[in-house]
Amino acid sequence: MGVVCVYAFPVPEGKSGQQVVDSLQKQVELLGAVKTGNFSVDCETYQANTQAGTLTTTPQRLIHVLHNSEQPASCFSVLDTGTTLIADVLFDVLIHKLTSGKAGKEAFYQQRKGSKMESKGPRYELSDFIIKIGSVSMASNFKGILVEVEYSPCSVPTECWNLMRELMQSFMGNVAETPPTLVKNKMDNFYLPGDTINQYLEHFTNFRKQTVMGQPIR
Amino acid sequence: MYMDQLNQAVKGGIAPFHEYLLQGSIVDSSKDVLVHRLRGLCDNADSNPEAFHDHEMIFSLKGSPQQQPMTVYLRHSLIQTDCWHLRYVGSTEFGDKTRQTLVRSCVDIGVSDSIVKFLNEIGFKLEYEFVAKGYFFHKGRMKVTVSKLFKMNIQGDVNNIDPLTLSCLVELSVVVPTGQEQVGEDMKNFAEQLKPLVQLEKVDHRRQQQAAT
Repeated sequence: MGVVCVYAFPVPEGKSGQQVVDSLQKQVELLGAVKTGNFSVDCETYQANTQAGTLTTTPQRLIHVLHNSEQPASCFSVLDTGTTLIADVLFDVLIHKLTSGKAGKEAFYQQRKGSKMESKGPRYELSDFIIKIGSVSMASNFKGILVEVEYSPCSVPTECWNLMRELMQSFMGNVAETPPTLVKNKMDNFYLPGDTINQYLEHFTNFRKQTVMGQPIR
Repeated sequence: MYMDQLNQAVKGGIAPFHEYLLQGSIVDSSKDVLVHRLRGLCDNADSNPEAFHDHEMIFSLKGSPQQQPMTVYLRHSLIQTDCWHLRYVGSTEFGDKTRQTLVRSCVDIGVSDSIVKFLNEIGFKLEYEFVAKGYFFHKGRMKVTVSKLFKMNIQGDVNNIDPLTLSCLVELSVVVPTGQEQVGEDMKNFAEQLKPLVQLEKVDHRRQQQAAT
């Protein structure tokens, strides 16, 4: 796989998310990109089940379980400590076992209510680039826009950043001025699918925080 | 979206799979005869039997008494060190005399090397570990393993090992979606062909555990 950059694209005041998505799509199509279907990245968060008195026995960990349609046979699990596990998609069955109580017994982890987030939208190809324009939703509420650009022939960010920037700036402007933090931290290393997932998770967490800040403090 | 597909798979009986299992043992001195016999009976008779050398770790998550403990089996190949395999096994259905083999649900998952750290961080603790060396055969969808088990003298050190017994463990298993009882019959027929070298039987682990305590 290549190098992937994911950016949050701001929605200016007075415009709806859909309008911005439409104009981005139009610009990408003008560049000559061909639509090759749809994509989705989803994230579900689980936390330790505190009702069962697990405070002393199981650590207070958050487990984020993500899927990426670009890697349809994999399931990504990221802990709040940063540990990333990549597993077969059947790992979901194990998560299901961890989170469902059976025969009157309590589960170890439980789903965080309203935590499900998803970025989905059209997927474009422009020769060696893959461009995805995703609308982010949390519990079916629109949260923002994430644009993902992948340059597939190269796995080391330093080697292709300038090329990527040129393409990205042609339709995103200043949003793509510098590489995303995660990519910046490993410019000379091999880029891996787990890195893409962590970029998405970071954006999802930010969107979630914005929502919490918007609400009155309880 | 994926969760929906998965739930469908679980409801439809596609996942988790069911494992049909027969077990037996053979003394070390007769192992070569058995391996020779298996080479003749199984597929790819003309090539050398596939060897494996694995480190198995068993992790458990135990919470309060209101929670059902959960155990997973992690295998790490010491030949192909990139290969990590996580397995969850459901409760065993021993069944009655008409059922030829032991049946249990199982989930087999390939995982990345961060798995040990991941399990520890979400609360799993290492229960025990061992090293298994042996040969792997297959005949159609049947899988036969002949493995020698070793205990590890120092935790985590896969080189400092001693054999556990003077015998090898022989396992015959098939993993299929739900509702294929015919498999048990095929396995019984295959097991017949290995007699009298090895007696493959359905082993009631619970009874053995009770006998041990």
